[in-house]
Amino acid sequence: MMKDNWTDRLSEYVDGTLGVGERAALEAHLAGCVPCAATLEELRRVVARARALDDRPPAADLWPKIAAGIGRAIPARGAVADLGERRPKGLPTGRPKRHLAFTVPQLIAASVALIVLSGGATWLLRARAATTPVGIAPPQARWLTAADRRYETTVAELQGALVEGRRTGRLDSTTVRILERNLATIDTAIAQARRALAEDPGSAYLNHHLADTMRRKLELLRQATALTGTQS
Amino acid sequence: MERTCPGVATLRRDQDKATGGRAEDAEAADAALAASGDGSAFERLYRSHAARVHSLVRRMMGPETADDVTQDIFIRAWQKLATFRGEAAFGTWLHRLAVNVILARRTSLGVERGRFDDSAAALETAPSRPHAPDVAMDFDDAVSRLPDGARQVFVLHDVEGYKHDEIADMLGIVPGTSKSQLHHARMALRRHLDR
Repeated sequence: MMKDNWTDRLSEYVDGTLGVGERAALEAHLAGCVPCAATLEELRRVVARARALDDRPPAADLWPKIAAGIGRAIPARGAVADLGERRPKGLPTGRPKRHLAFTVPQLIAASVALIVLSGGATWLLRARAATTPVGIAPPQARWLTAADRRYETTVAELQGALVEGRRTGRLDSTTVRILERNLATIDTAIAQARRALAEDPGSAYLNHHLADTMRRKLELLRQATALTGTQS
Repeated sequence: MERTCPGVATLRRDQDKATGGRAEDAEAADAALAASGDGSAFERLYRSHAARVHSLVRRMMGPETADDVTQDIFIRAWQKLATFRGEAAFGTWLHRLAVNVILARRTSLGVERGRFDDSAAALETAPSRPHAPDVAMDFDDAVSRLPDGARQVFVLHDVEGYKHDEIADMLGIVPGTSKSQLHHARMALRRHLDR
C-alpha cells in the first residue's frame, strides 16, 4: 500500500484534532497527493458508516432472566403499559406490540381507580406527615423536581391537542367532560402529593406516588389525544 | 484540546437528548418508579434500551457473551438506580454503566492481554479472517473481527461518540494510543465500506 508521512495523520484531520499549522500543511499536501486524498475520503466514509450502524435487539427476550436476577416476579403478559413510541424498532416478537385505545368506559374506570388511589394516598400522606420528621430529600425528589419543567411542557402540548380535538369536533362533548373530570382528579392527586412531599421530602412512598400519578396523567392525556385521531 | 468537527455533535450515547423531552419525561418517571422498587417500570426501561445496550456489548465483546453481559448490565443498573440523579438522561447514565461493566468483564476474563497490539499487520489483516466465501461480511462483522484494542477504541469513538481523553481514561491508556488504534481500525475497515 502506498503510504507517506501524512497517511497516519489523516484520521486526526478527519476528527479535526490537528493543530492549525499541521492542518494547513496537510491540506497543502492533499492538494497534490491523489492517494492521500482517496484515503481521506475512505476514512470519512468509514466514520459515517460507523455512526449509521443500526442497533439490533437480542435474538431472545432477556427480561425473564433479568427479572429473576433482580428478584422480581415476571408480570403477567401485557401487564406493562406498553406505549408504542418507546418500543425500539425491530424488537423481537416475544411480546407483541399492543395498541391501546381507551374507550369512554375505560376512561371512566381509570378515573375511578385514580380517585381510590388518591384518596388512599391522601390518608397515608397525612398519617406519614404527622409521624415522619423532615429529612434530606433523596435523589429521586431532587431530579423529579428538575424534570417538572419538561413534564409541564408535555402536559401543555397534550392539553392543547385536546382543545384542538374539541374545537374540530373530533371529540364529542360527553368524552370531553369525562376527560376533564379525570384530569382534574389527577391534578388534585398530584397537588396533594406535592404538598405532602414538601412536608416529608424523604419519603420513598411519596416520591413513588407522585411519579406514578404524573405518569398516569401523561398516559391518559396521550391516549385521549390519540382519540382525537380515531373518532370521527 | 480536541476540536469538534462538523457532524460530530449528535453522538449515539447522547441520542436521548435528540429524541426530545417526552421520552425523557417518561423515562424519568419510570426510573423513579424503578428506584422505589417497581419492576414493571424497570421492564419498560429495559425494553427501551435493550437493543442499544446489547449492540454495544456485541460490538465490544463479541456475540458469544452478549446476552450474558447485557443481563448483567441491567441487573447492575437495577442495583444502582439510587445513584441515578437525573443530571443526564437515563439512557446516558445506563450507557456509561454498560461501558464500565463491559470493561470490568473484559479485565476479569483476561481479554485485555495483548489488546493494544497495534502492529499494522495485525490490524490490516484481522477483518480478512476466513469466513464463508459466499457470504459477504458486513460492516458490523468486520468491526467484530478487529483486534480487541482497535475494536474497543473504534466502537467507543466512532460508534458511541466518546473522545480520546475519555477513552484513554476508561481503558487505562494514553490518548495517543487511542488515536493510533482508531486510525489503524479505520484503515482496516475501508475495504468493507461497500458491504
